[in-house]
Amino acid sequence: MTHKLLLTTSLISLLLIGCGQPAPDLAGKNNISDANHIEGDTVSIDENSYGTGSTGNYNSSSDGFKSIYFGFADYSISPNMENNMNHNIEVANTAASKIKIEGNCDEFGTDEYNYALGLKRAKAVQDSIAAQGIDPSRMVLVSFGESNAVCTESSESCYERNRRVDIRLMK
Amino acid sequence: MRQLLLAVVSISIFALNLFGVDATLKIEKDVEQRARIALMDGSSEQSSKVFKILLSDLKISGHFLPDSTHHIGDLSSNYIIPALKSQEYVIKYAVDQRSGAKLLVRLLKASDGTEIFKKSYAISSKEKMPFLIHKAISDINNILQYPSISWINRYVAYAVYTTPGRSEIRLADYTFNYKKTIIKGGLNLFPKWADRAQRNIYYTSYKGTLPALYKLNIYNGTKTKIASSEGMLVCSDVNNDGSKLLLTMAPEGQADIYEFDLASKSKTRVTNFKGIDVNGRYVDDESRIVFVSNRLGYANVFKKSIQGGATSQVVYHGRNNNACDAHGDKIVYSSRESNNAFGDNTFNLYLTSTGSSDTRPITTTGSNQFPRFSTDGSVILFLKQSGRSSSIGYTNLSSHQSLLFPFNDRKVQSIDW
Repeated sequence: MTHKLLLTTSLISLLLIGCGQPAPDLAGKNNISDANHIEGDTVSIDENSYGTGSTGNYNSSSDGFKSIYFGFADYSISPNMENNMNHNIEVANTAASKIKIEGNCDEFGTDEYNYALGLKRAKAVQDSIAAQGIDPSRMVLVSFGESNAVCTESSESCYERNRRVDIRLMK
Repeated sequence: MRQLLLAVVSISIFALNLFGVDATLKIEKDVEQRARIALMDGSSEQSSKVFKILLSDLKISGHFLPDSTHHIGDLSSNYIIPALKSQEYVIKYAVDQRSGAKLLVRLLKASDGTEIFKKSYAISSKEKMPFLIHKAISDINNILQYPSISWINRYVAYAVYTTPGRSEIRLADYTFNYKKTIIKGGLNLFPKWADRAQRNIYYTSYKGTLPALYKLNIYNGTKTKIASSEGMLVCSDVNNDGSKLLLTMAPEGQADIYEFDLASKSKTRVTNFKGIDVNGRYVDDESRIVFVSNRLGYANVFKKSIQGGATSQVVYHGRNNNACDAHGDKIVYSSRESNNAFGDNTFNLYLTSTGSSDTRPITTTGSNQFPRFSTDGSVILFLKQSGRSSSIGYTNLSSHQSLLFPFNDRKVQSIDW
C-alpha cells in the first residue's frame, strides 16, 4: 500500500514538473527547406483593373435582337422560335457592325461539356442567320456556359430563360 | 493506478463519430496492413482543428490506422502511456500559432518510446498551418518508407461563380482549411496547373471579345497570353513535362480538341466532329487521349491517337458520362444516373482503364462530379453534393478509404489538383 502510494505521488510529481517546464522551442533549426512553394506568398489579382471587359451586363439580347430559347440539353432551334429568328435576320441584315452571338446554358450541365453545349446553340443560331445569305464572317460566337444566368430561382421557367442565345452588336 | 494515469495524462476529446471533418469512412482493405498510430498533443494551447487535419492526413494516406482520440500530454518525454502501448507508433506534436505557425513533431515507437524522427516546421503565415501539418505527415510517411503521399502537400486550384457573369479563382490545401482568392473580378474560368511544381497556372479569361488562355505565375504575378479562340477555349490537360497542352477550342465555331505546342505555338487538331468533343486528357504514354463526346447521341468517354486514326468507345456503361480525368491508363468518369431535367440528379464516379472494359464504382450516393486524380494516380478528388450540403471528397484507390471535407464556397465551376 505504502509502495503504491509512493509510486503514485512520484508520478504525479513528475507530471507536475513536466507541466512547469517552459514551452519547447518550436522554431528550431530544422525548419522546412524543401517546401518553398508553401512559404512563398501567392499573388492576388483583380481582373477588374484590366480594360472594360466586364460580362456582368450581358444578361439579354440588345441592339434590337431577340434571345432564342432552347429545350433541356438541346441545341436545335424549335419551331416556336421562328418569329424571333425571322426578326433577328431582319435586324442582322441592316447591322452596321459585326454581330456577337452568345450561347448560354442552365445550371445542370457540368465542366467543359456545358460550355460546348452553349457553343452549339450559338452555332445553330449563326447557321440559321447565315442560311438567309448573311456572311458568317460578320458573326462572332462566344459560349458563356452556365456562367451568365439571367435568373437564379429554382424553377423550370427560370431554367428556360437561361437556356438561351443572346445576340448583340460588337462594340 | 492505471485509471489515475489515464485520467491525468489522456483527455479524450474526440470520438470518431464526432469528427466533423470525416463524414464518411469506408474501410474495405485488410486493416492489418496499416500501421496503428496515435497522436499526442503537447501544445500549450490545444487546437482541435490541427488535430483533425493531422488525423485526416494519416487516414487518407492509406498507410495508417490512426487512433481518433485527441490525447493530450507531454511533448518532451519518451514515456508512452499504457493506453497507447497497443499502437505501433505515437506522434507527439506541439503547435504554436502566436506568431506565424510553428509545429514540432516527434515520431516514437509505441512499444518502448524510442524516438524515430523529430523535426520542427515554421512558416510566417499562420493561415498556412495546414501545409505544415501535411508536410510533417508526409515526412513521417517517408521515414517509415511507405509509398509517397506528397500529393497532400499540393494546392488545389478551383474556380467558383460569385454572381452571374463573374467568378473567382482560388487556391486551397487539400482539406480546404486554407483558402485564398488569387484572381477576382470579371469571368475567369478553368484553372489548370501549368507545371508539377505548381508555380504557374493556366486559366481562361473572358475580359476581351473572345475567350483567351493565360498563364499566370502565382508568385510574381507575371501573366502571358497563350491563345484565344472564338466560341470557347479551355486548357483541359498539360503533358508531363509541361511542353504541350490539350485545348478544347472552336476556331471555326465547333468545339474540338487540339494539341498545342508551347515552344512552336503551333496547334494540331486531334478531333474533328460536328457535335461536341471536350475534356481531352493524355493517357498511356501521352500518344493517345481520352475525351468526352456526344457522337453516339449522348455524352460518353472515347479515346483516339493524337496522330489520327479511329476513335473508339472507352465506356460501355451509363447514358450520360460527361466528365472524365485520366492518369496513366486509369480513367475516372462521372455518370449521371437519374434523369431529372429540373432538379438534383445522381452522379456517380466510376474507375476504368484504357486497356480493359472492367469498371468499378467509386461512389454510390449523391451527386459526385469534377473527378481529379492525384499526381501519382493513387487518390481521386471529387465534389460531392447531398441535398443542400457540399463536400470535397477523396478516395484512396488502394486502401478504399474515403474522406469528406465540408465545402462552403458557392457554385464550383472547375477544379484542378
